[in-house]
This record gives sequence, structure tokens and C-alpha cells, in this order.
Amino acid sequence: MKNDLTEGSQVGGWESEQMRKQRRVSRIHLPNCSPAHLLICMLAVLLFWVASPAHARINVVTLPGRDSVQLTIYNSVDLTLVKESRFLTFRKGLNRLEFSWANTLIDPTSVEFRALTHGDEVEVLDVSFPPRVANTLEWRINSEFAGEVQVEIRYFTSGINWSADYVAEANKIENLMHLAGHVRVNNHSGEDYENAQVRLVVGMVRLVEEIAALARAGRPGPLTQLPAPAAMPEASAKLALYQEVDRLQERAKDAPRQVIKEGLSEYFLYTVEGRDTIPNGWSKRMPSFKAQEVPIVSYYKHERERYGDKVIRHYRFKNDKESKLGTEPLPDGAVKAFRFETDDRLYAFVGRTSVKYIPLNEQVELELGNDLEVMVKPVLTNWIKTDIQFDNNGNVKGWTTREAWEFELQNSKDIDVVLDIRRNFSGDWSISTQAQHENVDANKVKFVAPLKAREKQKFSYQLTIRHGTNATR
Amino acid sequence: MKHRITLAVLTGVLFLSHSAHARVKLVALPERARVVVSLNNPDATLVEEERLITLQKGVNKVDFSWRGVNIDATSIQVRPLTHPDNVVVLNTSYPPNENALIWEMSSSSAQEERVRISYLLSGLGRDIAYKAVAEPDEKTMTLRNYLRLRNDSGEDLTEAEIRIGYGANFKKTIAHEEVLEMLSERIDGLPIKKILTWDAATLPWDPEYEKKTVGIPLSYVIKNDKASKLGAHTLLPGKVRIFIKTKEQAEKEGEKAGEGVAFTGEDWATLTPADRELKLYIGQSRDVKVTQRKTKDDKTNIRRNSGNTIVLHDTDEIYKIEVENFKKTPVDLVIVEHIPGYWKMVEHSHAAQFKKKDAFTFEYNLTLPAESSGNRKTTVTFNINRINVQGNEPASY
Repeated sequence: MKNDLTEGSQVGGWESEQMRKQRRVSRIHLPNCSPAHLLICMLAVLLFWVASPAHARINVVTLPGRDSVQLTIYNSVDLTLVKESRFLTFRKGLNRLEFSWANTLIDPTSVEFRALTHGDEVEVLDVSFPPRVANTLEWRINSEFAGEVQVEIRYFTSGINWSADYVAEANKIENLMHLAGHVRVNNHSGEDYENAQVRLVVGMVRLVEEIAALARAGRPGPLTQLPAPAAMPEASAKLALYQEVDRLQERAKDAPRQVIKEGLSEYFLYTVEGRDTIPNGWSKRMPSFKAQEVPIVSYYKHERERYGDKVIRHYRFKNDKESKLGTEPLPDGAVKAFRFETDDRLYAFVGRTSVKYIPLNEQVELELGNDLEVMVKPVLTNWIKTDIQFDNNGNVKGWTTREAWEFELQNSKDIDVVLDIRRNFSGDWSISTQAQHENVDANKVKFVAPLKAREKQKFSYQLTIRHGTNATR
Repeated sequence: MKHRITLAVLTGVLFLSHSAHARVKLVALPERARVVVSLNNPDATLVEEERLITLQKGVNKVDFSWRGVNIDATSIQVRPLTHPDNVVVLNTSYPPNENALIWEMSSSSAQEERVRISYLLSGLGRDIAYKAVAEPDEKTMTLRNYLRLRNDSGEDLTEAEIRIGYGANFKKTIAHEEVLEMLSERIDGLPIKKILTWDAATLPWDPEYEKKTVGIPLSYVIKNDKASKLGAHTLLPGKVRIFIKTKEQAEKEGEKAGEGVAFTGEDWATLTPADRELKLYIGQSRDVKVTQRKTKDDKTNIRRNSGNTIVLHDTDEIYKIEVENFKKTPVDLVIVEHIPGYWKMVEHSHAAQFKKKDAFTFEYNLTLPAESSGNRKTTVTFNINRINVQGNEPASY
């Protein structure tokens, strides 16, 4: 990617429309200026003593490109904070800096400038979005200092996103797994980001206007069909995040090359090891963490209202220290689960699923699809109606039904499993059973049965439901 | 097209030009050293292939690309096998608009590495098909279990190790668009139980009122257990075609007649775990006639409200089932009755043959004597009371 800085010089602070036009023509003819990319031009137009537009002299100098770039990518919204720093040579007095971003997805309302060195001497007077020119702004900067200044330009872009994904490798008997996390960054922003530090934010931020819509507008102004933003709290929240991000960035400078994972406010920030180049259109997947021998339970669930007659396999684990995890929350993402089938670690494909965001110490269940080798067969073995009550008009006002249920369970697998069967009831119901059970809520009962390899089991319960006036609750 | 999946170690650089990211590949193409296809998950086919690649010391770019095949790009994984501790996959890049990815692998030294690449591939499937030949006495049969592999993946698989989740693995070559059928199991002398099933809910009660002879569904029942020389694994769903051995006519007088088969029907086998029965409905018998009549249907114990409307009652119902077997051999018949709601059996003629299947279903398992028609017909009667009938009883569960 090329970034071109052009510089001219100007005495005085005034520029005619004619000069603007001439300047723009000059810019268009700059060598190596691609229309599809960001462009920064330092305009220091020398104004002659005779303030005639015809005598304006335009000085165009190509300056070195970005000296560093950092991407902070959000996964809950289409938003990336880009921070780039570069060295610019300022003259004493008024300097004009033009920033343009044709064919990219930058939010014009988000572009910010600040001097990292000589901050006291370099002051942004104003920023102008020139008329009839899209995707361009111009800072008027007063400098008390002549010479090289390190500046930072910060903006939001859309079109870059990231996602997490996981590979789970269970052992043969499915009581341990290796869990490897990855992050994948996709760049469709229109801009190439070379040698960028990549930081990923896990968390939900609120946006009242879409960055992509702001980018399409090309310049600040009201967006059609969008409600007016509830500006203040959002702006200050963004500011707070900026500041926090900055603070962390300062700290990260001295950190060794590793994946730094740090909580900030309600967010979690991943700083990916090293620097990466992600050209426009490309995606890049990088390892995020690897946990060995995480204890899991092969947990099978049956709930007719949820899964029909199927039995659904889950791997259950906990995001905590005892489980060799617990160092960070795990972002939501796709999971592919395999099982080592042979001694030379050939895979069997167990299933694919997606996980929700997993906070620290949370128990997780990876739902891995139907397993035909675990069977649950419920049979209603008896049904009676009794305790009929009549009202004064002789109508039936209350009755009670009693159901007898028998469940056949069969594990056809060569490994032990745990089976979780849930039954949903309604009305004034009660059950009686010898089987271990637990009330999940007012109308849901859970039976948990550990089954050894190739084991069959049966359990039964009696369900009583009181209808009409027989109901006492 | 032989191979549509390629692996290349990029010995050249990856050129990223400013405006278009044309990729120039200078490649060394390693051949596959091993291919393993795992079909044990019915939802997805997993392919694992091993290749020998030569790595330079430092960071290497390895390009994996495919065309004309449908690979789930998010499923692709690479695992170094020879030096898993010294070869590290740093990252994976996905170029735009290409079915390709590039791994950056760091190697601690220049070395040859065997890598295993795993991915989920569409278009490669398996079916189970069963063929059974019953003996003329219909007491046993020979069951053949075939595995049918369909390769519409776009990729030719040569000497692939195939794993189906049970039994031994085997090696096969299967080209794109080829269907390959293999015998995976053969069981001789598998006991079968031949039964007819008359279900009161689905068959007409009085054949006299039918224009055509009522056929009674005929099934073979086999059990997936050790006694039947089965039971080692769950029987998977698939089509079962059933034949029966027949005697052929001798070509010439005095010559020994050969043996042939006749097709008796087919059904879809359902998933059958070990020790459970598989019932295959293969045809109908018209040599058995079942007539069911309700000979008593009274409301009893009627309770009315003040408006004289019946709000609750019991019933007294008697059913008579007459069964005739016109065959010269005895036959097993199951009569299935459905009585939803709360009911009680008062009395019945065939208590020993009675079996309650669930709250609303019961059966009589009868063995009809040979030629038991006319005066010798079998008559089943049962008397039930429905209790506390309101009209709001569940019909099923």
C-alpha cells in the first residue's frame, strides 16, 4: 500500500478558490497516488505579496508513508478503530494538511489528528470538509515549531471484522480435549493495512449510526432515515474507550510479542502477537490460545419439546483454571469438534456448532448434534382419570389424571456417557418416582442417568395432574 | 481431472501488488502419501490426507487450493506429524475470490515433514443396502449388508482408507462420479419371525363391505442380538430387499431342478440398536381374513347436568374378531387395538395372548392353525369399559 504525503508551503492563512482548484489538480497528478487509497497531503502554499490567485505557487513534495498502524477491531458491530502515526515536517505558522480516502469505508466524522511530539506547539485550528469534494478533509494547523513532528491520525472504518473459532480434539474416551482458539480477521475495507498491529475487542458497543452509512455519506451531515443520536453519553463512552485504549497501547509498547489479553471496562482486548499485513479482500487466521487436556463430560440431552425424539450430544466443560482454561473469556464463535479415533490420532468428526460468549468460570456445553448410538424411548404405560367433582348444576368441575411413564435408555457406544432427560409438565402436577431427579423450574423436571459403555437402563415415574377445581395451585 | 486438490510449498514470494493482489506461485507439488475417508458421521464426510513436504529453516508458505470440489474452507486443518514440536503453523491467509489458503509454517530446521490435512468434503456419501434371501420355510434367511459409496465430490480418491464407524477399515479406489458397492457383512441362518399384523386403526373391520380382498401386512422380524449372529453394532437405516428361494423347473425331464429366487418385497430398515427388533413390512397376505365387529356399545353410569346434558359416562363395549386362515400352514397374526383414554379390560377370550403395549394400545399375538376357516375359525372377544368419559381424553401421546 502506498501512502503519499504531499507538502507545499504557504505564507499567510488565506487561500482562494482558484488555488484550491489548482492544488487539487496537482494532487491528482501525484506520482504513486492511487485513487483507491488513503492520501495525505501537506499543503503549505507559498503566497506571494500580491495576493492574486494567479501568482500562487504550489509546492508538492512526496513524504514517507505511515510509520505504524494499529487496528482495533470490534466483533459485535462493523467498526474498526485505525490509528496510524507518521512523521510530518511542519513550518512555523499555518500548515494545511489534507486527508482523503476515496474508495474506502472511513467514517468522516471520526477522523482525528493529534501531535505526539511537540504537542504543546502544534494546534489544530479547525477542520474543513471542502465543498464539492467527497471523502476529503483539511486540517488547519498552527505550529510554533518548525521541523519534524510525529503525528497520530485516528479514524473509524467499516469493512474489517474478526471472528473467533475453535477446534476441539477429544480423546478416545471423550473425557479430555485439546481446545485451540483462533481469530480470523477479514479485510473488506478497501484499504490495505500493512505491517499492522492487530487488536481485537470482545464486547458489545452501541452505535447509533452505522459506520458504513457514515462512510457512504462521505462528509459529516445528517443521515437520512436515521434518528438523531443521543449524542452525549455515546460520545463520552467512545472517548473513555479511546483513552483506555490509549493507555493500554502505551503499556503494550514495552510488552513482549505475545497475545496480550486484558479486560477493560465491559470489554476484553486481545492484542495479537507481532504485526500482520492484511491486504484488502484477504482474511487471516491466527492462533489465539491452546489448552491441553481440558476435562469434558460427554453429556447427552433429550427433551422432546426442544429436540424432538433425538438425543443430542454435548461436550461439557468449564472455562476455569481447574480445566486448564480460565485465563480469559472466550468470544462467541464456530466450533468444530473431532475425536482421536486411532493411536496415530486420526480424527473422527464429531460435529460442528457455535458457542456463545463464555465468561470466566462459566460452564459451557458444545451442542454437537444427534447421536444415533444413544437411545431414549419413553412409553406411556398407563393412563387413568379419577376424582371427578361436580358443581351444583351437575357439570364436571374437577378431575385428576394419573399417567405412568417408563423410559428405556440404551447406550450403544463403547464409552461411558451421561444422559440428561427433561420432561415438561403444566397445570397442578406432581410426580412420584424412585429415580433420581431434580426440578429445573416450576414445570420442568430433569433426570440424569450415567450410562456405562453398552449399558441399558430403565426408569419410570407416575405423573398426577389435577384439573379444574381439583387443582390446588 | 485427476487431482483437484493441490498442495504447494511456495518457494517463491507472495507478490502483493498495490492495486491487484496477483499471486505468483512457484511451487513444489507433493503427492499424497495417504488418504483416509471417515464416513462415521452421517452429517459430514471427513477427509484426512498426508503429504510429505520439504520445509526450509524459518518461515515457509504452504499453499492449499482446490477447484471443482466442495470443501468447507473453515474446516481445513493441518497437523505436522514428523516433528510436531519443531514445526508450527503460524497463521492462515485466505486470498480473495479463490478456493485457496496459505499456511505460514515455521520450521526449526530444513527438513522433510509429513503433514496431515483434514477437511470436510461434500458430495461423498454412503448408503447402506441390505439384501436378504429367505429359506422357503421362512424360518431363516441369509442377510447381506452392503456399503454403497457415492463419490460426487469432484475428487478421485486413490487407495483411500475408508472408515465407516464400525467393522474394519478398508482401502478402495473410487473415482469422481463412481458408485462403489461393497459387501460389508454376511449373516447366514439368521432367524426370522414371519408375522401378519392386523391393525384396527388402519384396516377395514368388515371385509364383506370391501370391493377388493383385504391384504394383511406381512412382516419379517429379526432381532439384532447375539442369538441371531448380530448384535455387534447398531443396524443402520437402509433399504432391505427380500427374496425367497424357489425351486426352478428342470430343463429336461429327469434332470435335477436348479434353485432360484423370487422377490418378496422391500422396506426401509430403521435404526436398530443392539438387542432390539427390526420389523420389515414386505407385502400383504390375502389368505387370512379378519372381521371385527363391535357387538355391544352401551353408555353406562351416565351423569347429566341440570340441563339434562350428559357430562360424564362410562361405556360397556364388546368386540368380536373372527379370523380365518386359508393357508395350508399355521401363521402368526398380531391384532392391534387402540383404546385411548381411561379403560379397563373386563374379560377376554385370549388372555394368554394379550399384551398391553402402552396405555392406549394392546395386542393379541395369535398363532392361527392351518386351514382354520369356516367352523374352525379363530374367534377373539374382549369386553372393555371406558371410564369417566368426558370427550377430552388424549388420543395419543
